[in-house]
Amino acid sequence: MSQPSPSILSSSATPPSDVMIDARGVQKWYPNGYHALRGCDLTVNRGEVVVIMGPSGSGKSTFIRTFNALEDFQKGSITVDGITLSDDLRHIDAIRREVGMVFQQFNLFPHLTVLDNVCLAPVLVRKRSKAEVREQALALLQRVGIAEQADKYPGQLSGGQQQRVAIARALCMEPRILLFDEPTSSLDPEMVREVLEVMQNLAADAITMVVVTHEVKFARQVAHRVVLMAEGEVVEVAEPEAFFTNPSQERSRRFLDQIL
Amino acid sequence: MNPLLRRLRHDLFATPADGLITLALLGVIGAGASSFLRWAFSQARWAVIQANSTLFAVGRYPIDQQWRLWLLTALLAAATGITWGMLRSHPRPDRGGTLWPRNDRIAVGLLVALSLLLPWMLGLSPSVQLRWLAITAVLVLLRWLAGRFGPLLPGPFKRLLPLGLPLLYLIGMVLIGGGLGLASVSPSEWGGLLLTLLQSSFAILLCFPLGVLLALGRRSELPLLRWGSVLYIEFIRGAPLITLLFLGQNMLGFLLPGGLAPERVWRAAWVLTLFAAAYLAEAVRSGLAAVPRGQLEAARSLGMSMPQAFASVVLPQAMRVALPSMVGQFISLLQDTTLLSLIGLMELLGTARTVMANPAFLGRNAEVYFTLAVLFWCCCAALGLGSRALERRLDPAAIARSG
Ligand SMILES: Nc1ncnc2c1ncn2[C@@H]1O[C@H](COP(=O)(O)OP(=O)(O)OP(=O)(O)O)[C@@H](O)[C@H]1O
Ligand SMILES: [Mg+2]
Repeated sequence: MSQPSPSILSSSATPPSDVMIDARGVQKWYPNGYHALRGCDLTVNRGEVVVIMGPSGSGKSTFIRTFNALEDFQKGSITVDGITLSDDLRHIDAIRREVGMVFQQFNLFPHLTVLDNVCLAPVLVRKRSKAEVREQALALLQRVGIAEQADKYPGQLSGGQQQRVAIARALCMEPRILLFDEPTSSLDPEMVREVLEVMQNLAADAITMVVVTHEVKFARQVAHRVVLMAEGEVVEVAEPEAFFTNPSQERSRRFLDQIL
Repeated sequence: MNPLLRRLRHDLFATPADGLITLALLGVIGAGASSFLRWAFSQARWAVIQANSTLFAVGRYPIDQQWRLWLLTALLAAATGITWGMLRSHPRPDRGGTLWPRNDRIAVGLLVALSLLLPWMLGLSPSVQLRWLAITAVLVLLRWLAGRFGPLLPGPFKRLLPLGLPLLYLIGMVLIGGGLGLASVSPSEWGGLLLTLLQSSFAILLCFPLGVLLALGRRSELPLLRWGSVLYIEFIRGAPLITLLFLGQNMLGFLLPGGLAPERVWRAAWVLTLFAAAYLAEAVRSGLAAVPRGQLEAARSLGMSMPQAFASVVLPQAMRVALPSMVGQFISLLQDTTLLSLIGLMELLGTARTVMANPAFLGRNAEVYFTLAVLFWCCCAALGLGSRALERRLDPAAIARSG
């Protein structure tokens, strides 16, 4: 495990420009004392797709939620696109603008139409004109294949459609990184594919993505690297072919035996 | 068989036991109604209401200044008509052709009938009868105009329209109390329904932001703010309103330096507001608790600041959940204004008590109390109707279903 050098990095110390996320020795304790992350390292490069796998409770969600400060951490350091995550609220807001997130439960705003879901944040946060955002939102809805549902409410859409709206909503902020936390885990099997297809297209457009998923096929076809987490630690980082055919760690092998 | 008869038979006389119950209930209802009608039309002497109708409406408001209240009533009618019409004209293609849904037609019919019958029954002079009719005409006309042409208004104008309501409230305050060139009418001269509505609308409007702030404070991460809110809410909820009203009359004078202590009427209004805010905070809190955590997380992950996330994501959803219990609070607030008579204010009940104390109307308590009950029922029913309309608009799923 590399030794963390916490809080020496400041926002002015810009790392090499192709590193989008640089997490070093991240440790987190939940308020109840549970040690959820026990020193995790991960570097994500620009345009890269990183898939995180691992058994339930291994800390995958906790880890990627530290990248946009939805969870705090006690030790180590995280730098996102040159901005060091600290308690400084301005840094947190700046990072959240640049990092999009797609949740397992979609978390669409049920009181707004699909179009308003997508338009809300760019207008409020980026102070862009409504007309311009609206145009972009419609284009994005087109891109994820649900332009004709723009005036419906989330409750009237299927799970797969809702998740595609959530992706469009994240994209409309023009983030530099997209985080996905098990985006297909609460979908019926027939809807999983439509969401994965959208994600695959994003990857083809060289959008930086960190994806927590159990979809082996997606990981094999789309990921540049696969990360295995277990018991709050990063056990292995490898290219997908190597990871799935010939993992270097015993723990990875056991995990693959269970899911393949 | 006639379908109506068939349905009646199916609903009321499906089995012999049902039939018996129906007959028994019909008997009870019939007996009750007939003795009420006998009282209302032969025993009751409604002169007490006729003679005091102005007193019940506005208390001892100076007669030469009452035109201001007429103007305010007309403005309120206009605002009601416009709001009603705009709500109906909401550009929803699936609602085509329902500018005048059945319930609206019934409501207009009732309004016109009331404005014709009530002033006549109260024995008001023909010119005053005419005034009520004109006010109703304004309401209905604007309801039609806003429903018909509202959608054609330019967008920015439509968005600014709701701002007219708080503006109207301020105008109303000036009209009632004076200022800006109008002769001042001291609050001690306000009374009757006017005072009841003033007190309750003031408290309802102000307790709302206060209650939301308290509810947010109760969930805050700052311990001082959290404990302060909890203490306040629990203290107020633990004390009977009447003691707080007396406390307010006695204590606000000490707390605020000399001239700043508000007039008695305003003191009472503030106590009502602060009282209602504690209850409202609890309603809002249950609404906030019903919004899943993921909503705030999604908003924050899109870069929204905490105030932005609350204002556009969390609160609108919480309000929808909290609305029914909030309206319940408002309705009991309206009824609680009767307690103000105990601290000597001449609101509806206080006015009623002075009327009943007048030897000329000795023994006419039943008529007075009955009128009071009907008046309160009307106000509460109006609140309930308004809230149901609001609830439907805040619930996109219901809108979608109705489409
Ligand atoms: N708020 C919390 N308080 C205390 N412990 C928590 C909290 N949230 C998560 N944990 C614990 O931290 C560990 C890691 O949780 P996390 O949600 O990151 O796992 P995960 O890898 O995403 O699992 P899954 O595949 O089930 O989503 C789990 O053991 C969980 O019980
Ligand atoms: Mg998880």
